[in-house]
Amino acid sequence: MSAINNTKSFHLISSQKISFTFDGKKYTGFKGDTVASALLRNNIKLIGRSFKYHRPRGIYTCGIEEPNALIQILSEHSEPNTRATVKRIYEGMVIVSQNRWPSLKMDIGSINNLLSPIFSAGFYYKTFMGPKGFWKKVYEPIIRRTAGLGKPPKDFRSKSVHHYHNVDIVIVGGGLNGLIAAKKLINTDYDVLLIEQDSFLGGVLNNSKKIKDIDGQENVEWLKNTEDLIRKSKNIKILKDTLVTTYNFKDHLIAIEDKAVESAPTSYKSELALHKIRTKHTILANGHIERFISFRNNDLPGVMLASSFEKYIHRYGVVPDSNPIIFTNNSSTFSLLKSLVDLGCKPLAYIDYRNNSSIEKNILDFLKNNNIQTYTSSEIEGCDGTNILKEVSIRDDKKNIIKIKTSMLCVSGGINPDVHLFTQSKGLIKWDSKYLTFKPDKPFQNTITLGSASGNFNYQSLNEEVNDKLSFLKGAKEIKIKLNLNTADDLNIREIWETKHEKETLWSKSFIDLQNDVTTKDLSQAVSEGFDRIEHLKRFTTNSMGTDQGKISSINSLGIVSKILNKNISDVGTTIYRPPYSPLSFSAIAGRNTYEFYDPKRKTAIHSWHIKNNAVFEDVGQWKRPWYFKLNQSETMHQAVQRESRQLRETAGILDGSTLGKIEVKGKDALEFMNLMYTNAFTKMKPMTSRYVLMLGEDGMVKDDGIVSKINDQHFIATTTTGGAPKVLGDMEEYAQTEWPHLKVYMNSITEQFSTFNISGPKSRAIMRKVFSEVDFSNEKFPFMTFNTFNYLDTKVRIMRASFTGELGYEIYVPPKYALELWEKIFRNGKNLGLIPYGTETMHLLRAEKGYVVVGQDTDGTVTPVDLNLNWMIGKKKKDFIGKRSLSRSDTSKKNRKQLVGIIPIDKNKNIEEGQHIVEIKSLPSNIKEPIEYLGHITSSYHSPALKHCIAMALVKGGNQLMGKKIFVSKSNSSETVESEIVNPVFLDPNNRRLLS
Amino acid sequence: MFLINCPYCGERDQSEFSNGGEAHVKRPENPDSISDKEWAEYVFVRSNPKGIFYERWVHSHGCRKWFNAVRNTSTDEILKIYKLDEKPPSLDEFKHTLQTPSGEPELGSGNFTVKK
Repeated sequence: MSAINNTKSFHLISSQKISFTFDGKKYTGFKGDTVASALLRNNIKLIGRSFKYHRPRGIYTCGIEEPNALIQILSEHSEPNTRATVKRIYEGMVIVSQNRWPSLKMDIGSINNLLSPIFSAGFYYKTFMGPKGFWKKVYEPIIRRTAGLGKPPKDFRSKSVHHYHNVDIVIVGGGLNGLIAAKKLINTDYDVLLIEQDSFLGGVLNNSKKIKDIDGQENVEWLKNTEDLIRKSKNIKILKDTLVTTYNFKDHLIAIEDKAVESAPTSYKSELALHKIRTKHTILANGHIERFISFRNNDLPGVMLASSFEKYIHRYGVVPDSNPIIFTNNSSTFSLLKSLVDLGCKPLAYIDYRNNSSIEKNILDFLKNNNIQTYTSSEIEGCDGTNILKEVSIRDDKKNIIKIKTSMLCVSGGINPDVHLFTQSKGLIKWDSKYLTFKPDKPFQNTITLGSASGNFNYQSLNEEVNDKLSFLKGAKEIKIKLNLNTADDLNIREIWETKHEKETLWSKSFIDLQNDVTTKDLSQAVSEGFDRIEHLKRFTTNSMGTDQGKISSINSLGIVSKILNKNISDVGTTIYRPPYSPLSFSAIAGRNTYEFYDPKRKTAIHSWHIKNNAVFEDVGQWKRPWYFKLNQSETMHQAVQRESRQLRETAGILDGSTLGKIEVKGKDALEFMNLMYTNAFTKMKPMTSRYVLMLGEDGMVKDDGIVSKINDQHFIATTTTGGAPKVLGDMEEYAQTEWPHLKVYMNSITEQFSTFNISGPKSRAIMRKVFSEVDFSNEKFPFMTFNTFNYLDTKVRIMRASFTGELGYEIYVPPKYALELWEKIFRNGKNLGLIPYGTETMHLLRAEKGYVVVGQDTDGTVTPVDLNLNWMIGKKKKDFIGKRSLSRSDTSKKNRKQLVGIIPIDKNKNIEEGQHIVEIKSLPSNIKEPIEYLGHITSSYHSPALKHCIAMALVKGGNQLMGKKIFVSKSNSSETVESEIVNPVFLDPNNRRLLS
Repeated sequence: MFLINCPYCGERDQSEFSNGGEAHVKRPENPDSISDKEWAEYVFVRSNPKGIFYERWVHSHGCRKWFNAVRNTSTDEILKIYKLDEKPPSLDEFKHTLQTPSGEPELGSGNFTVKK
């Protein structure tokens, strides 16, 4: 029988026609329709193919709980896995079905159904075990192509936004209970947020005719009046189209708002908003979800939950089928019966699992008076049909099989309070043996559950429940709502989870999880294989692990497992529902933190100059640093670095060192503090001098290095590595506050207050003289490791004589505002003297020639200053500094630790690779079975233009004792090695003649 | 994510803070006078109880101040916040508080419906 439009309906659907395409064909629906209701209106019941067996699937529900009807929306960046039962149509919408090839009706993948014996529970773990290598090359690509959901969108830039709320009370759910709670809070002092997942309030009042009238008003009228009242009150805000997906500690909710309901995406408007809500109390009035019953082929398109069928009638004004069959084990379907009869649609049959005497008299009378074929103590044995339901088999009270032709079957297996959010909040649930479901028991946070969400299915006790549970709220009025019911008084449910198969064929399957294609047989198989704990069983079978989290079926699986194990359901327990309640788009989580906003780029004041001069940049933390400068387009990195290095040692080079961390330390006890933080001794250091410094962890390992400049005993400036700055400042704060609060000392970051240039090379003094003509740069007046402050324009610059290249060098600190101007001035003056800009790679090469370490490259958190031959930096006479005690621990003081050495290849034409192992054998076996004795590894390696061969630094066990020893260095793509020699790591100018010139 | 009441700034989101591990682990005053073992205890060993825990926090994206807190690690409830120079509250003060979410055993997984 075909669908009919229910002309008496309805305020939620307008008469405006909307056209859209589904799998290339054009259809018409009404404004307000979901994709599902519009397709049902057009008699489309086959919507997609299932995950594993590619079985035909249709629309099972009318909401967020939908396991089957997932679609891909091409007109929205190809958004996949969208629930057809939630997503609303708009003009020009383009939808396709998922997981089928070549077409929905003719799907090659459905061969999987016949191969189902190999796809049974745990098949991932068992079937595809061998032969070796087959998983990666054969099985996985095939499974990825044929299994799964929709395809992810490409080239999509999120315009989603994040909103933050701080309120007193959140009401989750704008249904009857939520509205009553909100009404109670009108004009109180509480800041209230009412959140509704639909575009309209009302819940059960829209979904069914269960309630005839309310407070003597028609449902629609009462809804309108109540919403007006709430809107007029100054303390309640309503958020519609917003779904609470997550209930975190502490009373922190995450909700997602669809800001583009019924509209195509635009280039300027946000499509989603993520609400982060902090509240004091959370009222969960999010209702209940109907569950199904497992029987043979219970997945065929045409099988639908009874309450969903009713929703389509009342909410969307479409009767999916004029003469369906109803199968139930409870009284909730009474209102569906009434609705159908009211519309002149007589159900073909009513099948009730309960016996005659336990069904309410008014239901039996109604069935009799309307002449509806009734089977009590009966059940559905199974369904048949290809692509669509054609016939149902009923097992009546005498165990006879009766077959009836029909195209739709409405099923109700009972109702579950929607406890997902409650359990996310770590509330405890308990089994209710009257309603055969789990309901909220003890909340963990400030959570109140109301109505069916709390397991109260009796409408007449609503007033009492709301008044009782919300009585602690100050100023809340007593509520008295008068409901006139149009349904059975109670649920009156009889336990049934699964009906018995009559025939066993490969096609005949009784499903427990429709989205992940888990059958009831899989459950018993998993239990027989020993997976009898419910959490294990879930993972082994993938039951309830789909995107719907088994909303209509997870309790059923507990029921079935409890029968297999012969236990009570409360003893079987439940699995944990985890956030999010329903899938939320990554674009909503990302919000505006995408692309350049995801990780901000930090640029120095000279950045524009670097670009103009063909710098190639390197990312150091968030900083963009010039890596090397290209002389022309054809110059390679190697050529550029060799050229920069050579030229610097001949004339001069300038490096933008602005990214180095700079920390200012001040206070009465600054000297004592610095003595404790660093290994070096600062007491005898003269004012206006600088020192190369090391900072250790308490474990004695090198954590950072830099230069400390002493202005006086109460004032120091420390530089750190580019990446280490926040950590060093954090550690200083920590020790100053927690360990040595008696020291009067303060520190702050001044990294961005100063731009820093390093000029070095034999001509740097001549260049500095030209730029700062009034300063005496002579060796006597301005010796190595001293600094001073000089006037420059209307500001001051600090100049320090220091070097990381081994050449004569100066560091200039200048406020960023003046930096570019000064940089250009230096270039104007330095051009004739051969000044060039150089990047970080050249800096690294030049320092390696001098044997200077880079913390984080030549060290890795297991290296002490002694290992680096930096014993001279340790203030041994100091009573204490961070990490000092660790240096004398048995492990850190042992002889055979890895120590920093230099390595050079014997054959000077050969190169050594960074990160390679150092061994004692010339040729490595191609198939390594036994561990090979390993001496250490290469930490840095460069081609030295000064020495004209490769130089490397390495950490080698007992390296200091091995000078001159021949060793072999492995290669990345060959079993050959490079024969090399251990040497002193200072390759160039060991007497510092260039440095001190 | 919970709220933390910074004693200097007031109540702020947890994301503004960093956890600094166990509180009241005093750095030895004369490290040279203690044994390797005692020093290693200080550097490497911290307690990790399920339940009441005295720990340090720093308002790293705020005032940069360190302070102490008493937290129930199984419920994430912050029971007390006090400044570094204040006396730590005694354990007895927290006897009345809920030990675990939903009342599951004090040790072991929070998923006790399965354990049962």
